[in-house]
Amino acid sequence: MSVAAKTSTTRSARASRSRLALRRQVTFWLMIAPAVLLFSVIMIGPLINMFRVSTLDWRGIVKPSTFVGLKNYLRLFQDVHFYRALANTGIHLAVTTLVVLPVSFMLGFFLSQRPAGYRFLRTVFFIPGMLSAPALAMIFLGLYLPDGIINHYLRLIGLDNLVHVWLADRGTALGAVIAVDLWGGIGWYTVLFFASLSNVSKELYEAAQIDGASYWTLIWRIAFPISIDFFGVMVVLLFLWVLMGSAQNVLLLTGGGPGDSSLTLGFYLYRQAFANRFLGYSQTIGVFIFAVGILGTLLVRRITRPRFIS
Amino acid sequence: MATFLRSNNRIFGGRRQTSLWVNYAVAGFYALLILVPIYYVFISSFKSNQQIFAAPLRLPEVWDLVKYFEAQQRVNLLRAMGVSFYITIASEILTLLAGFLAAYAIARIPNRFARWVETFFSMGFLIPAFAILVPVFLLAARTQLLYKPIFLIGFYSAARLSLTVILLASTMREIPRELEESAVCDGANIFHVLRHIIFPLSRTGIATVMVLNFIEIWNEYLFALILLNQETRTLQLVIPLLRAERVSDYSIIAAGLVIAVIPVVLIFVLFQERIMQGLYSGGVKG
Repeated sequence: MSVAAKTSTTRSARASRSRLALRRQVTFWLMIAPAVLLFSVIMIGPLINMFRVSTLDWRGIVKPSTFVGLKNYLRLFQDVHFYRALANTGIHLAVTTLVVLPVSFMLGFFLSQRPAGYRFLRTVFFIPGMLSAPALAMIFLGLYLPDGIINHYLRLIGLDNLVHVWLADRGTALGAVIAVDLWGGIGWYTVLFFASLSNVSKELYEAAQIDGASYWTLIWRIAFPISIDFFGVMVVLLFLWVLMGSAQNVLLLTGGGPGDSSLTLGFYLYRQAFANRFLGYSQTIGVFIFAVGILGTLLVRRITRPRFIS
Repeated sequence: MATFLRSNNRIFGGRRQTSLWVNYAVAGFYALLILVPIYYVFISSFKSNQQIFAAPLRLPEVWDLVKYFEAQQRVNLLRAMGVSFYITIASEILTLLAGFLAAYAIARIPNRFARWVETFFSMGFLIPAFAILVPVFLLAARTQLLYKPIFLIGFYSAARLSLTVILLASTMREIPRELEESAVCDGANIFHVLRHIIFPLSRTGIATVMVLNFIEIWNEYLFALILLNQETRTLQLVIPLLRAERVSDYSIIAAGLVIAVIPVVLIFVLFQERIMQGLYSGGVKG
């Protein structure tokens, strides 16, 4: 009898334990449901839809759409505006990465050594990152206006031949847009590199100094290899930011002009979708940008994967 | 001065003094490049256009708010600011509710799918929002929610979930399990646990994501531009409009700008350290 009672208690204990486990499972799914639902419907769904829309001929939201297969993609590779945008984006990417990352890394290293006044500098460097795209654009508008601050001081010091209508000059419009990213980007990445390099132990540098390492060596032969992984993440962030984020700067400052001189891929997508109302074609550009983003990310991560050399 | 610096920073000792001064020169020059335009915008908001262009950096003669009133009259800054606050706060609450629950489930309820769900959310780091600009616009149109703030609130929440879920989950993993277990033994149900243990102990993480989300949502421009209309436009949307009406009057643009950045400046002054740490850990995890 006692044996029978014992079995029944273990059985009921097991049953209640499995009921508890089941309840835990249900709780798990109930708790993640709102977030998963929101994220799937608004982020993942549209991402998938982008590929579908890219195969449609669709001239505006109230018009009917027809499936045209890869026709939009063929059009893409024959589109002179697209090639112009591609070249401009290439320049934009090259200039920002080559200027922002090395300068930020050096400034971040400098600040991470806690020189006098580093807190003040760090705060100042952080300011542009807190400003919205319209705020940045309007600040730069004040600098670029025909009578703005840049031309004012160029005239003052007698460099009248350097005076330009910066945003409406074929030769300077793209540069004017890129400058906005340089202005804010250097500070932003300096602060992030500072945060990362602050975790490196001081003894490491001291040991190298005893061996006679120069300041330059400390940065590029010691600090840089140690933080190569973090550096890679920063390259990816900057790459995606420039690739995707250029649309709003161009929209706010130059509208892609004059001509196509400051047309970037991101802005070209925007223009095709909302000005020309080629919804399908705009998403073909979108798929292209997305593919470049993924490939670029994979490539950068591959190059900057930490290597351990014995 | 030099001795003081040397004693403070061994790295810059001896012959590395030169590096120190070169670095100060570069950093100082860049700091000026940031501060001068900001100073220029600020003082321009108190000057007339002629005064701006005659002497861009000179302090204004009188500090009156004429241009502020004019900017308000043109585009109703205060109303736009109200809309901005409404959308930002509503998005914050929705993000936090959904993100907090999901983070708890991922971090605390044993389930073999927890890792998968976390990976699912971290995919958001790989999808830059811009890539889905047009499909999101189409979704709004199809659901009859175009130009309604509620859709933009939903979008902002979805877009901020990745960082929110992943940062909160990593905060919650730090909370000792014993606290939760002993509470359950005392008969506490899940709501008690969430409210009296998990929520108070993940306050730092919650504050960090809320500050980061506030800045991102408050500053967002492109999605607001295509998903809202005249009646519901946010502060970020009205600032460029100040330019469209009369290109040359920079003082009014400057006044609008000053108003638009005030909330973010306050957040920045109060939470600078937290913002930096949050961005850093977000960057490491993303």
